[in-house]
Amino acid sequence: MKMSMIPQITGRIQPYAAAAWCFCVTLLSSTPSLATQGHAGIEGVWVHQFAHLFFLFSMMLLIYWLRQAGLVKAPGWRYIQYAALFFILWNVDTFLVHFLDEQIQAVRVDNLGGWQIRVVAAGGRTWLSAVYYLAKMDHLLCVPAMIFLMLGLRHMLKEVGPVESDKGVR
Amino acid sequence: MKVPLIPIWSVDVVGSILMIVFAFLSFGLCLQLKRKDPNNIIVTYLLWVCFALFVFAISRSAGHLLKQIFLLSNRPDLWAAIQPFSGAINTFTFVMVGSVTLFFERTWAIYGTILKDRQALQNAHEELLYLNQNLEQLVDKRTEALVISEQKYRRIFEVSKDMILVTHKDGRIVNLNPAGRSMIGMNAADSEDKIHGLAFQDFLSGPADWDAISRQIEARGFISSEEFDLVLKDGTRRRMLLSGSLAKNPAEDGETIHFLIKDIEQRRLMQKQMAQADKLASIGELSSGIAHEINNPLGIILGYTQLLLRGEEPQSDRFNDLKTIEKHVKSCKAIVEDLLNFARTSSPQKEYLDIHAVIDEVIGFVRHHSNLENIQIKTVFASDLPPSLMDEKKIKQVLINLLMNAIHAVARTGTITITTGLNESASRISVEVSDTGHGIEKENLLRIFDPFFTTKPTGEGTGLGLSVSYGIVKGHGGNITVKSELGQGAAFTLSLPVSPPLSGR
Repeated sequence: MKMSMIPQITGRIQPYAAAAWCFCVTLLSSTPSLATQGHAGIEGVWVHQFAHLFFLFSMMLLIYWLRQAGLVKAPGWRYIQYAALFFILWNVDTFLVHFLDEQIQAVRVDNLGGWQIRVVAAGGRTWLSAVYYLAKMDHLLCVPAMIFLMLGLRHMLKEVGPVESDKGVR
Repeated sequence: MKVPLIPIWSVDVVGSILMIVFAFLSFGLCLQLKRKDPNNIIVTYLLWVCFALFVFAISRSAGHLLKQIFLLSNRPDLWAAIQPFSGAINTFTFVMVGSVTLFFERTWAIYGTILKDRQALQNAHEELLYLNQNLEQLVDKRTEALVISEQKYRRIFEVSKDMILVTHKDGRIVNLNPAGRSMIGMNAADSEDKIHGLAFQDFLSGPADWDAISRQIEARGFISSEEFDLVLKDGTRRRMLLSGSLAKNPAEDGETIHFLIKDIEQRRLMQKQMAQADKLASIGELSSGIAHEINNPLGIILGYTQLLLRGEEPQSDRFNDLKTIEKHVKSCKAIVEDLLNFARTSSPQKEYLDIHAVIDEVIGFVRHHSNLENIQIKTVFASDLPPSLMDEKKIKQVLINLLMNAIHAVARTGTITITTGLNESASRISVEVSDTGHGIEKENLLRIFDPFFTTKPTGEGTGLGLSVSYGIVKGHGGNITVKSELGQGAAFTLSLPVSPPLSGR
């Protein structure tokens, strides 16, 4: 009876026990390090990329909420919605550029002089070079975004009317 | 792939400049918005977004411009020194815009709540201000409305012809309207103090009545259209229709009962009279049928008897027997004739007559044929009575009947008064024959006009006199009524229509 129970229990615990064992070994066998972690190299690019994704996600949420609350019926908020849309596109564009040239280093740019450059994509992919070349012109997306933001604010300013006295609720 | 640098470079430079310009403009607009609506939390949100984008635009665009300048001036080392700083600021501003935007939905919800609360506060403030400014006026207006309402209901209470009574649950009277006071024999103007201390059950005919009323109210909370007798101060009873309900009165201690009591005595009397009239009409119809059937054989018997009498020697036994038959047949015919008169089968021969003259003739006739030594006949005639359309013979018969009845009731000594009057509104004249005799018992009053009903000893009356009178008066479109109490005499009143209405005066 004792013999039959042991393998059964062992069989169920084995994967967790193995994982715990590996974790302990890794911790104990690592080399001594300083108390604060270093942030050199590619880490900055990763953080920047996360920030782009966060920005993109927040703009998507903003569009969703604006539409759900019916605010887009007002011209001011409608322009801000367009601004958010262009910021999303701009984030996608810049994320791609950072990914290609800094994260995976799939593209290299050589300055040939005389206002000429050579875009070299890994594996000689010309289409990738073309995509990269176009994506580099990200201001074509972020400038319209800023223009729409400005237009939205201008409409809102018109709608607010004259200066209100301080009688409201904070 | 070899490509020109110019497009990238120019888009970068021009774009960076435009970014700075529009970021400036947006931030400026946002500041203006904030100044205009400083308490708006949504503007605060936009201000933070614009600020972050403004910082981002400056950092990135300035960085890009510097990059181009440094690269063109062949100083990549300077750009390498600035690049991490610019990139970090860019990253920070993205996170800032994202973080602020994540709270947009909550911010908007809070803004909505604030707006709603602010509106509610504003409304309450305005209402309070209005009430404050118009309080006195509003109170005056409400007081006036209350007074009008109170007067309206007070007036209903005061002028109602029915009794409105408020009592405690034990029957003690709380309030009674003037009509109610009159009904129970009090003066309508009596003070409230006289009412307090009285109990409603004291005015009911017996304790069982109050028990029945309070039992129903206890069980159902109300009582509806129940008939009870109310005993007045002088002891007379009047039939009442009573409705009432239990009510919680805030001005009184505990619950009270509100009664509405209607005097239906007159209605009941009228119903009785109508029933009597119906009964007499039925009897009249029956009598008429019988009288017609009997009248013909009686005529034949009388005819043959008179034929036989012609062939007989006067004073013979046979002659005397036939005479007896003839006398009784004539008596029978007289009764049949009376029955037909009661049934109004023959139409009266009407002409315009002065009723006073007719009465005088009847009195003369009665004086001549009756012993009236100790009986005084008085007349109280109204002046200017118009002539009335009537059958002289039949009206005389009625008056003779009434006078003979009165003489019989008075017996030896007494007074008989004949009073005439005019009711202009009803276009009727009235003739009242009253006596100081023994009066009529209450149970006989309803049967007095029935054919063959008599209180006289057998052989002294047929019981058809008043029935015939009733028939004749009804045949003239009039009415005959009687009022009597035992020992107090009786008064018969004829009312006859004046036709055409008063024009003959």
